[in-house]
This record gives sequence, structure tokens and C-alpha cells, in this order.
Amino acid sequence: MGYLNNQVVTVDAILTKKGREAMAKNDGSFQITQFSLADDEIDYTLYNPTHPKGTSFYGEAIDNMPLLEAFPDETQIMKYQLTTLPRGTAKLPVLNLGYSAITLKQGASLAITPQTLSYLGNDQTFEGSGYSATISDVRLLGTYSGLGINSTAALNANTNTTVTIGTNVSKTIIGTQINLRATTVNTLFGTNTTLSSTLTVVGLDSGARLTIPITITKTN
Amino acid sequence: MSFKRLETDDFVVSSDSITSTLWSTGVQTLTTFFTSSVQKAGSSGNFYLSVYEADTLINTQFDIVYANSTGLGSAYYDATVIGKTPTLSSYGQYRALILEDENKSFNFGTGDNVHTATDFFVISVERSRYKESLFPGSLNLTLSGSNGEIHLTDNSKDVSVNTFIGSSKVYQLISGSNGSAGTLTNSGFVNASGSYGLVFPELGTILLNPQAISQSIHVDATRTENSTNGVSNVTLYESIALGKSFQLNSQETITSDYVFARARNSEFNYTQNPTFISGSTGEVIYSNFINNPQTYITTIGMYNDTNELLAVAKLSRPLIKDFTKEALVRVKLDF
Repeated sequence: MGYLNNQVVTVDAILTKKGREAMAKNDGSFQITQFSLADDEIDYTLYNPTHPKGTSFYGEAIDNMPLLEAFPDETQIMKYQLTTLPRGTAKLPVLNLGYSAITLKQGASLAITPQTLSYLGNDQTFEGSGYSATISDVRLLGTYSGLGINSTAALNANTNTTVTIGTNVSKTIIGTQINLRATTVNTLFGTNTTLSSTLTVVGLDSGARLTIPITITKTN
Repeated sequence: MSFKRLETDDFVVSSDSITSTLWSTGVQTLTTFFTSSVQKAGSSGNFYLSVYEADTLINTQFDIVYANSTGLGSAYYDATVIGKTPTLSSYGQYRALILEDENKSFNFGTGDNVHTATDFFVISVERSRYKESLFPGSLNLTLSGSNGEIHLTDNSKDVSVNTFIGSSKVYQLISGSNGSAGTLTNSGFVNASGSYGLVFPELGTILLNPQAISQSIHVDATRTENSTNGVSNVTLYESIALGKSFQLNSQETITSDYVFARARNSEFNYTQNPTFISGSTGEVIYSNFINNPQTYITTIGMYNDTNELLAVAKLSRPLIKDFTKEALVRVKLDF
């Protein structure tokens, strides 16, 4: 007879850049209400379902691997979220933004309507809870807002649509349509002719995620 | 679904008292003491003397001040205004800070052995060193003079009821060790001179009674009218440096927010990890993952209502999750 391991896994959390910003703003946005799990760093090609020693050894190459410490940049972590889907799912949801990269001239606008492929038996669908879209450097956009979702969370996220102050912080909005307009501020460019960032879109029902590069081109 | 809402029961707030060594080098007892000739000669040197742990003079450990109610022991600010000196300013400063009444005086000692002082030395510990407060019972300071040494501590372990001056908790500075006079006579006080001083943990401040110290080891302040600034500060510094032993701990309250992240057996068994699928259509990489998917939890993200990632925690090694397993992870957030 052996003892069962009754220990709870305890981990120390660090604040992200966004978390520190929310705390500094003191406007109630630093309010943890939900969590998500991710398997960043895991390479499932290391999983070996043909291991000669049997099922207990399938994950041998993953089980005991050491993990890196958390990164404080919210755009560099929680990249691959775990998701809840019905058992027997053969195809995982995939996002389609209609763009593999976005290039905008200064002041130009674009509306993106994400769709989810292979979700709950549908070839192509719009998710009911909408999509969250995170720009890693909000200074690149003069306006940035979501449309189509009227939940409190979406309304709160979409309220502050114009932020081009301070340093490069991310901003998340929620909607079924994502509207963005490139900044007209010249000083951000310095001696460069383009600015680059990333746009990460996550399906709020499916957890499907897609990150594409976004480039703003200086016009004058 | 990738996000799971936390319930009220998933949050627990806990406050823990943390004590640690106070000095910047992490040592329990400071044995070497240095001062800066630049600071001493500068305008701040008229009021206080900064003491460092090393001759690199980078980290101030504490400051020494001499305060006098009549302004003795330092130079007049202006020769035409008699009596207004840095030691008088310091006295007024600590009177306002501690006594909270301009008509009160500093009394060292208790019961029938009380000395009402017109002057005192101050050891003011750097805020970043003592964090929230000095840890009572950890003070052990040795002073050395021409008549030998005295070993001083607070009397926190000899008293059962907290005493306050104004709104500040105070302990008497007595002869003894580790917060107690032990078997010493007079409860560690000096006959007819009261205690050796007062210790204010929350202020990070120790007041020393020059009369008691002088009576014991013949170290005393200079009480000359319109004299050179900072002379008495140096006197106490030299006594501390010769004593070669100053032990003190800090105390702070760490408030932690514990969040319990619970993943039920049916949840979080699939992943958006690109290595979990093959091709661009999202098919799972192994056929046995269709009915028996297996994921590995490495990261926990804490979000607000607008899906902004506020805090993140990493596990030390991957935690297996499948339809037969539930996971409970306690995430600790310190403030």
C-alpha cells in the first residue's frame, strides 16, 4: 500500500505588461475573472504512439521536460490555448481571417470578419461569442474597435477605441467584425518607412487562434 | 471554449508576515561601518551622518542624527539668530513625528526610573532595509566607549502589553540581548537614568538616551553652543563602529491572492498547438487523439472580462490532461 499524492500543484504568477498597465490605470480593469490553460513549449510530434514499451511511455519525451519561466509580455505567452471540445473531435477548429498578412498605408482602414472552419461539425461558421483580437502595439492604429457583440465584456473592451500614447502596449477588442485604421502619427516612424506589429485573433467559443503580421506604411 | 470563468470560491486572500535579515548584504549582523566624507561635508551632513556597510558607499544602511531641544551641539543657521541650529530642527522634527505635541518631552524608561531628556541620538534605518517595520526582539547593538561595551536590545520579550507614544508603538532600549534583559538588574535600565533609549518598529527608528550611554561607557554628545555641525553624529558612529556588531531584522506583511484553477475531466483536452494537428485543415496528428486526446498543461493565464491577459504562471513540468484526469492548480499572486 502506498500513499496517494494529495498535493495541489502551486505556482507563482507574474503580472504581464498588460496586468501592470491595468493595475496602474486603477480603473477596475485589473479584475481577474477567468482563466485559460495553454501548452506552450509542447511539441506533440515528440509523442510516440508506437513506443515499444506501451502506452505509459508514449509521452516519455514530453512528460519530464523542464519548462521555461513565464514571459511578462502577454503577446509572447499563452500562445496555444487548451480548448474544450466534444470527445471524438477529429478536426480542430481553424480560423480564417481572409488575410495571411495585413499592410496598410497611414490613415487607411480595414474591416476583418473572421470565420471558424471545422467547428462543431460545421465547415465554416461565425462564433456566437465572437472573436478577441489583440494588437501587440496599439500605437500603430489610430482607431481599433470590434463590432457585432453586445456583451458587457465586448462593450468594455471596445469603449476606448483610440490609444496612441506611451509605449508599445497591447490592446484587445472583441467582436465579430474587427475594424482597424492605421495611425497618422508620423513621429512613430522615426527614420523608418514602415512599422510592424502582430494581430492575434482568438475564437472565443472554439479557442482557435491565428496570428498574422501587420505593417503600416508611411505616406508622407 | 478556451476560457473558464472563476467562481467566488476560487479566490482566497492570505496575509503572511515575512521576516528577514535587514542589511543589504543579507548578513544577520553588520560588523563593519563606513561613512562618506562627501556626505559628511555636504549640507545633509549638518543634520545626519549616513552609514554604509562597505567602503564602496553604495547602499546606505542607516543614518545617525543628534537632536537637542535647545539647539546645542551644532552651528547657528544665521549668526544673528541665536539658538536656531540643525540639532534644534532635528529635535522639533522627531517631537512632531513621535510625541505629536510640542509641549511634551521625551521620556526614557518606565515606572520610577524615568529620565526626561533634552537631547538624544537617533538611528534611522533606511526604509528599503526595514521594509515595513523593524522586527521586535531581533535588535542586538553593541556600543563601545572608554569605559567598555554595552549590548543593547529592545524589551519586546519582557513586556506583555504594547506601549504607544502618540500613535507609535514603542519598546524601551535596554541592556540585554534578543529582546530581553534576561537576569540583568534594573530590567536592563540604567540606575537613575532610565532606559538606553526607545525603539519604534513601525518608524524604523531608534532613539538613544545620551545620559544613560554616558553613564555606562562614557560616550556622550557634545553640547557646546554654536559648535561644529555633526560632531555628535560622529561620536555615536565611532561607538557603533568600535562595537562591531549591529544585528536587526525586518518585517513585512505579504498579501497573497490565491486563485484555484480547476479543469474538469471533460475540459481542456484539445489544443490549438500547431503540432497537435497535421496540415491546414485541423486534423489531429494521431488517430488515437480523436477519442483519447492527451494535452499537457504548461501555462496558466489569468484574464479579465475583456480577455486581457493580466497574470501568467508556468508549471515546473508539463501536467498531463485527458478525459480521465482533472487538474487543480493553485496560482499565487503576491502584492
